[in-house]
Parts: sequence; structure tokens; C-alpha cells
Amino acid sequence: MFFRNLTFFRFPASLAKAFAEIDARLEECRLKPVGPSELVTRGFVSPFGRDEPAMSHRVNDALWITLGGEERLLPAAVINDELGKRIEAMEEKEGRKLGGRARKRLKEDLVMELLPRAFVRPMRTNATLDLQHGFIAVDASSRKSAENLVSELRHAMGSFPALPLNAEVSARGVLTGWIAGEPLPPGLSLGDECELKDPIDGGAVVKCQRQELLCDEIRKHLESGKQVSKLALVLDDHVSFVLGEDLVVRKLKFLDGVVDQLEGTDRDGIHAELDARYALMAGELKRLFAVLEGALKFSPAEA
Amino acid sequence: MRWVRDARARRLRLIVSEKGARLTLPRSVSERAALAFLHEHRSWLADQLSRRPTASAEPLRRGVEPSLPLRGTDVPLHWREGRYARAELRDEGVVLQLPERASDAQLKSALRDFYTQQARQDLGTWLPRYLPGLPRAPLAFKLRPLSSLWGSLSPTDALSLDLSLVLGRPGAFEYVLVHELCHLIHANHSPRFWREVAARWPHWRDERSYLRGEGLSLKAQLARLIA
Repeated sequence: MFFRNLTFFRFPASLAKAFAEIDARLEECRLKPVGPSELVTRGFVSPFGRDEPAMSHRVNDALWITLGGEERLLPAAVINDELGKRIEAMEEKEGRKLGGRARKRLKEDLVMELLPRAFVRPMRTNATLDLQHGFIAVDASSRKSAENLVSELRHAMGSFPALPLNAEVSARGVLTGWIAGEPLPPGLSLGDECELKDPIDGGAVVKCQRQELLCDEIRKHLESGKQVSKLALVLDDHVSFVLGEDLVVRKLKFLDGVVDQLEGTDRDGIHAELDARYALMAGELKRLFAVLEGALKFSPAEA
Repeated sequence: MRWVRDARARRLRLIVSEKGARLTLPRSVSERAALAFLHEHRSWLADQLSRRPTASAEPLRRGVEPSLPLRGTDVPLHWREGRYARAELRDEGVVLQLPERASDAQLKSALRDFYTQQARQDLGTWLPRYLPGLPRAPLAFKLRPLSSLWGSLSPTDALSLDLSLVLGRPGAFEYVLVHELCHLIHANHSPRFWREVAARWPHWRDERSYLRGEGLSLKAQLARLIA
């Protein structure tokens, strides 16, 4: 259940009270199974899994929610192939070419006929809200699915003024400074992965993995004008991640030392285990956000 | 004068930009009607063309340029040598560090990055003030040079702003932001929309006339620095 990616949004921390009845609100927007002729549905589900009653899970200031979805898989190739056959048969029967409107109607009928037979693909997107700092971290690396979750949450709560993260210093400049030898903020250290880009249009890209970052090779790239667009970092030897210039955290990984803490605890079933894991993760994310906020000067969401 | 026939245009449109004057014709309008239209507006056109900035088309003088336009003033520019290209605003002015072999494209990209960052800083300061009165927050913010607009709000609530706004006076920038944010309430330019703007920015007319007067020169200055 540990999140793999983090896309952050900020909201006013004064909103914390609005989350008192979040369960009831999410219950109203619970995921409905996709109907036989529906393409996609979205709604909230329990973070603990199917058929669990709790719609959210709260540990102190941290709130865990999950957006579910069901989508019918209907590949365009399947439709086009079947449509081609039908059009051919029809044209042979009527002895004339089919017009655009007739083709369109034929396609619509075909989609309605095939939809009930299409596979249903389930989807889940997790998110954690920190009510003290006022941020939401969505477990998604694509802007679109993160925005989807935020707008569903806004829909469920009536109002939820979440802003995309805004850094007041250039993330690219700060990351480049770090591998050019400038000091990192306390707690952070360099990992062994980075992506360097020449910031001009269509500029060269260099990606390195398992590479010592403070070395001559990298320095040459910096001197020729490339700048860091993604950089692997480690926080307190607890979590490793890759931070992009788009402020999305990818490849988030909790390191052995942290996960070991969980091994020793007594666990009564899956519920307690998830609770322990979430509590651990929420604590680390709070620390991670505070460190990044200081380094990249994230704008607050309230005056 | 450039004549452009545009299938999507609905009416005759005469605009003056830093590139010169341009007349857009819908498909159905005859050349004669267009000429009459031009004749009718010739004094306006002459006025606009005379006010057009006599573009200092000379490129940025590397290592020499003494200042950069920012927030309505000229900020002293200090050229330094460094390990990577970066421009930063410090107490003494803008410090621009460049590696010795950096190309002009890298210099321009560093300047673009600098202006984007300054604009983001302004957004970060202003947004929290306006957020509470809005039905929802914009989903994304894009800052880039726009050719004729100052800002726009997409149907998906992504807000675009012209990067050259950060070169002009801050009031005008904030007004454009307020204007686009108010489109979250009314997605039109109705009197109700303008009432929302006036409630948040009472002197919006001043800013609008500032942009109408100085706007082209702001866009031209930005183009000279980063394009």
C-alpha cells in the first residue's frame, strides 16, 4: 500500500474542520458498478479494500482516501474490424455505398452491442491529506489522474480549493545547484540517478542510473549547459525518491530500516497492518513535505 | 499591412501588434468591403502605428547589458561566470551566472526561467487572497509568452498568463490574474462578470488602459530577451 508516486496540491489548513464528516460525504459519492452500457464510472471506495465500511482512515492529522473506478475495455481495433465487416455486408446487400450518417449510426449500434460484453478494468488511486500543513499527495505520476482525484474530492465535499504546488524558486535551478556542489538541506542526500536536459527547445537529454552524481562526467554536462530535470534523493536514510522539475515525486521507496520497524509489531489482521503502514508513511511524508517546502519555497494556500 | 483570410473568422478584425498591422477577413467579406472598413478606421490605425514601440530590435548585449526590466522598473544586471546558467534576484539586482561557453539559446533559456520564477513568486503571494471568494481553484497555471492575449482560462480550469506581465507594473499583472480568476465565476464578459472584477480590483480600468498603452512594448521587450 506504500505510495509509489506523489503529486502534491495545497489547500488552506483552516479547512481542516470541513473534514470532520468526510466519511458521510464520501459515502454519498461511493463507487457504483459500471452499468452494462456505461463506459466508465468513478467514485470513492474504502482504503482498506472491497466491502469495507470505512470510507477514509485517519491517523492524527493525516487522512487516507481512495478513489476507485471501473472502465470498460473496448479496443478501437476491435470496433473498427467488426464495423468494416458490417459495412461491407450492408453495402453488398443494398448495392450502394453507405453515407457518413449511416456509418456513424452503425458504429454507435455496434458499440452499444459490444459494451456489455467488454471487460471491466478496476482502477484505484490513493491519496493522503495532511490537515496540519494543508497538502494532499496523490499516488499518481500523471497530472491528469491526480487532477481527477482532486476534482472528485471537490465534487464530494462541495468545495475544496486545492491549488497545484507552486515553487517560488526555480526547481530546475535548485536541483542543478545540488549536483553542482551546493549544500543540500539538512536530511537530504543525493541518490544515484538523474536526468539532465539542455533547456533549449529540442535540447539534448542525458539519463543516468546507478551513477555517482558528484563526478567529472556530470560536471562536464553541466558546463556544456545541461540542467537537472530529475534527481534521485534520499531523506534521512528512510525514503528514497526521484524529484522532477515538475515537482512530482516518483519512484518513492521506503528503505529497509523503516520497513523493519513494522516487522516487530504485533499485527491483528490486515486492518491493523494497513493502519501501521499508513501511520508510518504519513509521518515520513509530513517530514518530506516540510523539507521540500523549505528548499523550494512552496507558496502557502492562504494569506 | 498583412491581409489574412480566415475561415473561422466571424467579422473583420484589424489589429496592431509588435509585428505590424494585420487585417483578418472572414470568407464571406469582399475585398471592397474590407477596403472600406480600412478607410473608415484609418485614423485609428495611424494612431496605433505611431504609438507602436520603435522596437529596439538589437539583440541582448551579452556581458554588457546593464539592466533587465522587471515589475515596472529596470533592475541592475550583474554578469558573472559560473558553472551553470542561472539568473537570480538578489539585493544588489539580478545576478546572471553563465558558463564561459554557454550559447545564446542557453542564456535566453536562463532568462525565461528567471522571469517564469518571478511570475510564480507573484502568483504565490497574490492567490491566497482571492481564493476564498471563488467557487473552485484553477487546476493548473501556465506562464508563457502569448502573442495577443494577456491571459485565458480553459474549459478545464487551466489558467494561462502572458509571461511579459511580470515585466510591467505589478498592478496590471494582478488585475489580469483577478480577471481570469473571475472567469471561474462567470465564463463571459457580462456586466455581472465585471462587477466581480470591480469588487476585487476597483481600479481595473487604469490597469486595462496601462496594458493597452504599454502592452505591446512589454511583449516586444520579452521577445527581445527570450525569443
